[in-house]
Amino acid sequence: MSPSRLTCAETFARLDDYVDRELAPDEVREVVAHLESCVVCAGEFEIERRLLDDIRGKLRRVRAPADLMAKVSSRLRAE
Amino acid sequence: MASPLEFEALLAPLLDRAYGLALHLTRDRADAEDLVQEAALLAFRGFQGFTPGTNFRAWFFRILTNAFITSHRRKKHEPETVPLDDAPNAYLQRRAHEVVADGTGRPGLTGGELASAVIGKLETEQVEAAIAALPEEFRAASALYFLADLSYREIGESLGVPIGTVRSRLHRGRALLQRQLWRLAEDHGLVAAAARGGGDR
Repeated sequence: MSPSRLTCAETFARLDDYVDRELAPDEVREVVAHLESCVVCAGEFEIERRLLDDIRGKLRRVRAPADLMAKVSSRLRAE
Repeated sequence: MASPLEFEALLAPLLDRAYGLALHLTRDRADAEDLVQEAALLAFRGFQGFTPGTNFRAWFFRILTNAFITSHRRKKHEPETVPLDDAPNAYLQRRAHEVVADGTGRPGLTGGELASAVIGKLETEQVEAAIAALPEEFRAASALYFLADLSYREIGESLGVPIGTVRSRLHRGRALLQRQLWRLAEDHGLVAAAARGGGDR
């Protein structure tokens, strides 16, 4: 892996896109190189990723009402 | 017309998330049920246009979001939402670092542990309320992001906006969401409790 050319601030500015896997391959390589050489930024990225996973996990506990699928089926069959 | 059974087999595993997405868009349980039913009907009618083997989830969530945009949006006035002054990105962990740096909390506690513990202590309903308090443009993008597993491009297609707009709405929405969550946690004494207890979740 080549040494990172990104500063901490430049890496941090790419945090959201990196976590979301929306960076171009070249930028991913740059960010990964920085994270491998910077414990502080690596920690920040890990926290952000975990926070988003936690929020996602909580939001996905919502359950549809038990009879919703039956209501949908009934409307489809009335078509 | 395709068979309802074939369509239902694809829809059933997505129903909880579709309802969750509808709930975040409409902020009303009855409206959310109506929206899912309406989207299912529209999707079923257009099922011939769906290519088997492609992403049914993205296709269906796009239909659901469009159905919301075209019909439900006009039904409700926007309730009070969070102020739009900017929050920096990674807001929650920044604040957690500040608390730790102030010496509040048990020895050895890190900002990351505190941030995670704070989220861990929030109830699902509180996280939902924080999303619900986001202005609609941020709420819709955030709900699609968290619940639908769509890429920025797919979210843009669902909302009819360019990918750059999706990126900015998601990033800003995420920062606003983290600020809301932190404030909720502070108001309920959860930050202090998490700082005392550390990483328990």
